Amino acid sequence: MSDTVLVVGAGPTGLSAAAGVASIGKKVILVEKEAVLGGAPILSGYAKLVPSGEWAKDAIGRMVKRVEDNANVTIYKSTKVLKVEGEAGNFTVTLSNGQSANVGSIILGTGFTHFDSINKPEWGFGTYEDVLTTTQMEQMVANGKIACPSNGRVPERVAILLCVGSRDRQIGREWCSKICCTVSTNLAMEIKEISPTTEVFIYYMDIRTFGLYEDKFYWKSQEEFKTKFVKARIAEVTKSVDGRLLVKGEDTLVKRPIVIPMDIVVHAIGMDPSEENPELSKIFGIGLEKHGFVDKGEHYTSTFSSTRRGIYVGGAALGPEDIDTSISHGLAMAMRAVGDMNALVQKAA
Amino acid sequence: MAIHEKTLIDPDRLISSDTLVVDGVDVSGHWNTMILPRTLKEYDDGFETHIKQFAGAENVHRCWQCGSCTNSCTMYAQNTDFNPRYWIYLTRLGLKDEILKDKDIIWQCVSCNKCTNICPKDVRPEGVMKALAHWIEAEGYGEKSKSSIFDEEFARQCLERGRIEDSEVMTNFYKNTDQDIKEMALNGWLGIFVARMNKWTELRKGNVFKFLARTPIMHSLHMGWSMFFKPKTKSWGRTGEVLSQYVKEQKELAHG
Repeated sequence: MSDTVLVVGAGPTGLSAAAGVASIGKKVILVEKEAVLGGAPILSGYAKLVPSGEWAKDAIGRMVKRVEDNANVTIYKSTKVLKVEGEAGNFTVTLSNGQSANVGSIILGTGFTHFDSINKPEWGFGTYEDVLTTTQMEQMVANGKIACPSNGRVPERVAILLCVGSRDRQIGREWCSKICCTVSTNLAMEIKEISPTTEVFIYYMDIRTFGLYEDKFYWKSQEEFKTKFVKARIAEVTKSVDGRLLVKGEDTLVKRPIVIPMDIVVHAIGMDPSEENPELSKIFGIGLEKHGFVDKGEHYTSTFSSTRRGIYVGGAALGPEDIDTSISHGLAMAMRAVGDMNALVQKAA
Repeated sequence: MAIHEKTLIDPDRLISSDTLVVDGVDVSGHWNTMILPRTLKEYDDGFETHIKQFAGAENVHRCWQCGSCTNSCTMYAQNTDFNPRYWIYLTRLGLKDEILKDKDIIWQCVSCNKCTNICPKDVRPEGVMKALAHWIEAEGYGEKSKSSIFDEEFARQCLERGRIEDSEVMTNFYKNTDQDIKEMALNGWLGIFVARMNKWTELRKGNVFKFLARTPIMHSLHMGWSMFFKPKTKSWGRTGEVLSQYVKEQKELAHG
């Protein structure tokens, strides 16, 4: 029997879980497939995080450092898990770096994949240089300069289109990606801060800035930063002769067609199940739910269990999730993993 | 005060009386113009369910009013009064009177299905347009189309005899659509059409066989014959009766 915990994925969820397990005094093996730790916020170059307003590299940087500095945590970067054998309390895992280890439980913080806007060709991504995704726009914000990629001019108008790759039966994305509304209202404020002459328009079906994000992001963006909200799902993005983009649709509240010139169009891309989930499902012997995210076991007394005993799953691997909640999932999984291992030890004694 | 911006008000909400005296004061004509309130007073709760029974509208309840259908609509590009998203909204709430204001354009849907292709909730708006148009016709809100009148006569003869008589279908169709056959024959296209069949010139030239070959003699005889004798298809029996009963039952089953 082993009381080491394997944590897979070093994003907010995995970093939090690893720190949690280590803080109780147990050993952790943290495996990350990429060469750097931090997950999506670092790999995709997020700007300021919701809701703290801290820069991603600072906030997530602290989480990385806390784990790196902890003697209880062994970190393997650019490494994947190849094989899992055994059962709760006594798993043998084989890693792609040639190592193998005996662990008592496994925590999955394997996250999500950003929706690829190419799958919505009518909205111009991949066709026009000035059509971007929220992650690209965040990178622009992080670099401190708002400019059209086509010719470097300062945009007079930016349109953010919500629900790109979310809430859309046509492309099999029957879920709300939860955080894009808040991220978009926040992005509108960040754009305004850097480029006060730029007007930002958000095209929405509904605004879902849940909980305390309502006034801190939605209202603030509207009231203080004068973001315009238009209830319209855009039909297509084209280009006018003068090189500006045209968003076409129906303004449902005015009941009239719109063909509005824009300088930059931003897709608020949703969260897909991790593209590696089918592979993870096989390697770890766990089930996936109908959308392709990792399936949960029993919810109420076996929280964060996967469908296989001794393997726990949390964060955006379970479905679209925000960073704060993912971090709590990580800590909760640390509790579950260590608690269940202790119970096995007591039972054996 | 006179109302200047009458164009902004639905005509049926403007009322005025030509002669009116109130407390001895003559307020005839536009001086007594009143506008009826435009407050909606009631939802027809069963309306959505009713429309869903017409083929095509099965998914209307899924709509969340994003406007993708109207955005992509071919007809909307021609006429912005043609607004599928708006009609779906009215259907869901049961605002029947508001839908009926557009009864003369709803049928104009060209079934290009761009809306159905783009709809994020798979409402299939094209089907809803079809269902609404059928509902308007089925409940007698719209004028019956000429093709429906033709179909009715055609079906009536089929059910009665198991076959149709061309000339009877056409004469009854013209009668039922108030088209004057005599007038069409004397001054209209029917006269020209018949005149073109005239092959007397061939006969006068002595081309007897050409004349016989090109004149629909047998057809004319047959038409005359069938004005008086209307045979049924062999062993037709009660078939028509049974079919009519079946159609009636299916209609009731579908639309209540």
